[in-house]
Amino acid sequence: MFGAGAMTNSIPEIRGTDLMFVIGSNTTEAHPIIAMEMKRAKKNGAKLIVADPRRIWLADIADLYLQLKPGTDVALLSAMMHVIVTEGLHDRAFVEAHTTGFDDLVASVQTATPEWAETITEVPADDIRQAARLYASTEKAGIYYTLGITEHSHGTDNVYGLANLVLMTGHLGKEHCGMNPLRGQNNVQGANDAGASPIYYAGYQRVDDPAAQAKFEAAWETPLSPTPGMNLNVMMKHMGGLIRGLFIMGEDIVLSEPNTERVEAGMNGLDFVVVQDIFLNETTRFADVVFPAACFAEKDGVFTNSDRRVQRVRKAVDAPGEARPDWQILVQLAQAVGYPMPDYQHPSEVYSEMAQLSPKFSGISHERLEDNVGGLQWPCPDPEHPGTATMHTEGPIIGKAPFQTIAYRPSEELPDSNFPLLLSTGRTLYHYNAGTQTRRASGAIAKQPQNFIEMSRRDARKRGLDDGQLVQVSSRRGTVIAAVNISPRMKRGCVWMPLHFPEANTNRLTNDVGDPVTQTAEFKVCAVRVQPLVQAAK
Amino acid sequence: MTETPTELTLTLDGEQVHAKDGETLLDVCRRAGKEVPTLCAEDRVDPMGSCRMCLVEVEGQRRLQPSCAFKVQAGQVVQTASDKVKRHRQLLLSMYLADHELDEDDLPRERGTGNQLRQHVLDHGTGPKLPAINAPREYRMENNPYIHFDPEACVLCNLCVRYCDEVEAVSAITLAGRGAKTTIATADQKGLLDTTCEMCGGCIAVCPTGAMTEKPSLASDFREEEVVRSTCNFCGVGCQVNLHTQDNKVVRVTSPPAGETVNDGNLCIKGRFSMEFIQHEDRLTQPLVRGDDGALHTTTWENALKVAAQGLMGVKEKYGADSLGFISSSRCTGEENYLLQKLSRAAFGTNNCHQCAAT
Repeated sequence: MFGAGAMTNSIPEIRGTDLMFVIGSNTTEAHPIIAMEMKRAKKNGAKLIVADPRRIWLADIADLYLQLKPGTDVALLSAMMHVIVTEGLHDRAFVEAHTTGFDDLVASVQTATPEWAETITEVPADDIRQAARLYASTEKAGIYYTLGITEHSHGTDNVYGLANLVLMTGHLGKEHCGMNPLRGQNNVQGANDAGASPIYYAGYQRVDDPAAQAKFEAAWETPLSPTPGMNLNVMMKHMGGLIRGLFIMGEDIVLSEPNTERVEAGMNGLDFVVVQDIFLNETTRFADVVFPAACFAEKDGVFTNSDRRVQRVRKAVDAPGEARPDWQILVQLAQAVGYPMPDYQHPSEVYSEMAQLSPKFSGISHERLEDNVGGLQWPCPDPEHPGTATMHTEGPIIGKAPFQTIAYRPSEELPDSNFPLLLSTGRTLYHYNAGTQTRRASGAIAKQPQNFIEMSRRDARKRGLDDGQLVQVSSRRGTVIAAVNISPRMKRGCVWMPLHFPEANTNRLTNDVGDPVTQTAEFKVCAVRVQPLVQAAK
Repeated sequence: MTETPTELTLTLDGEQVHAKDGETLLDVCRRAGKEVPTLCAEDRVDPMGSCRMCLVEVEGQRRLQPSCAFKVQAGQVVQTASDKVKRHRQLLLSMYLADHELDEDDLPRERGTGNQLRQHVLDHGTGPKLPAINAPREYRMENNPYIHFDPEACVLCNLCVRYCDEVEAVSAITLAGRGAKTTIATADQKGLLDTTCEMCGGCIAVCPTGAMTEKPSLASDFREEEVVRSTCNFCGVGCQVNLHTQDNKVVRVTSPPAGETVNDGNLCIKGRFSMEFIQHEDRLTQPLVRGDDGALHTTTWENALKVAAQGLMGVKEKYGADSLGFISSSRCTGEENYLLQKLSRAAFGTNNCHQCAAT
């Protein structure tokens, strides 16, 4: 957006901020330790604006809570921009010096009044005004978001909307401000940084850039393809067609990807599947070969967290049986197909190979991380560089950052008479993603033993449902069984389910329609109906 | 908004020291390297001054004052080790011992990750031995898999309650009862699982005496554990963890001290407790290859690598390199993600390489 895909600021900066705008992030459950920083900031007097269809815990302590209808973020953000530009609250000097396309943006939000947005988002126009004014007029104001922003068929527009807010108010390149996507997994950032991407080599160097291609061809001593590859969502759609074989390391795609039935049909259409994991899971049902891998406590390496912080992972115990660290298996497989991958003795050698090829991290090494107990934040271009806590301090690193005009369009699948409820999905505090780790944890099982569906009391009463009762939840794509959880956090007409339960896989319901730019699927909006479970005759 | 605090000077144990307006005497003592014992002080919560361990003598004050809560003033004259302070500490420790579970040496029993009270007794000595109180305290927090509370080892410093209120902000536990019956409990005497408790285990981490301990590691002697510093493998915060191991098993997870890491000494239920998977019996321990009968069978690494290589190369020869897809993992290390893209691009010749960041 501004030249790097990562949090612009740092987690420790949160406690010093004066305003937090949290949108599409149930921070206390998905990022509990970041939420502790937010609670501390609030205690220190910072203002908190929360926008989320669910009345999440943070909403309880928020100064302003915007309970928008799922999938209407673009309307909300457009109206906030409208207020800021019409009331002249934008940072003229910053816009002038560091951005392009402001006039087009102003024209595009001309009609996006808070009153118009209220008809779409169901958020009172005055609250939208107040949120916009607070955000624009507070000097140290940061935006924090996660998948509630991105997992939509208009996820890219949502992100553009937030970026526009950051740019027009000049909340960039300063401490305690910025645009901060909180990363969901321990090493999402690191996986992207390392080049697990169809368009980038390690260090965000494009595969179709001839100079980058030549550099990696020389380093790896083999010709490389300049054709950008398919991203995961595209691969999923082409399984059995253009995609005939998969190698899958450490991800349960059958459980995690939307529209399970279609994923399963695709997996059955593959000629060959290799899975490398620590447990059998839904995906290994389709595997021809399964490699047993070591978990994080059994190997060395680095994880890179949300705020670009590279930190060490160290071997504490031996892997069980014959399980091997993933990095060794990858080297051995490469050698087995005849590619002379070097016999690395330790992941530190792999890291230094990557760092040499990637200017963003070339100052980082395992050795330096021994002395820097708090980790090193990239960009860190040379071994003397202390790392970067706040990015873009000299202006956006791409030079002038462009405003992106956005226009509201409804989500792809909205409730109708057959499927009258709007389902969003997400994560809980106690479980983690596919559940392979936390479904084996006694505390998580005690707290949340089975899949559940949160709904408002009125929606439950209308269907004659009691708290705890088992129900069938159906969408156009499938049906799962879950227990009713009547919750004051839910908006009427909206229901919510977690995604951690293989035996009642919520992704049998979700819609695999993707964002036109990123193909990220619309996990946050699909239409379902809920019926009492019909017991089979005994 | 932030004003620069004014510098001031005071006399600490006969020496001139500098301090900033708003600091406490304890801040100054620590910076000056003075050993002032504490139990209820913790940087992440507001001072309470309840344990009376950190009292110091301030000239002009009739009574000893808690250094954790007493603010510095210009020209103050402070004694941290006067006879009066020493006598106070020894008597206080005698009183604590009369109301505390002791071991065979009449010292506070050690549990969890140590007992600061025991250390204070060893460092400062005690006054006369007082008769045991045997206060009738009830234990009300059972019914949860992780957190054990032992009222006999509790000094009622209230640090766990303050952490639960101020840092985790769920207010699951509280001081309950009156007089000698006072204890740490939950509202309505519920088990922790039925409260707002999120089982972050912060109460265990801040407890100075080990009255709050971890059930899973109750039997493990912390002095025999090896500690390996690592990074948590769950969400994207990147919390630093100390993995405590014994006999090749992870028996306990703690946070490095507050102040130097991104998690500032805090952990959540997943980071602290959800580690059972590491030693779980379901872990894959041998390579598997699908047989003609449709089932997965154990095999050797050599054979599994051969079958995988042939299978993937077979697809490449039949349909071309771009018919293969390589799915990496945001749960694996940076090095492994680097090697996976190298495998995909250099060994197989396709850029069809991605991980779950798209979803």
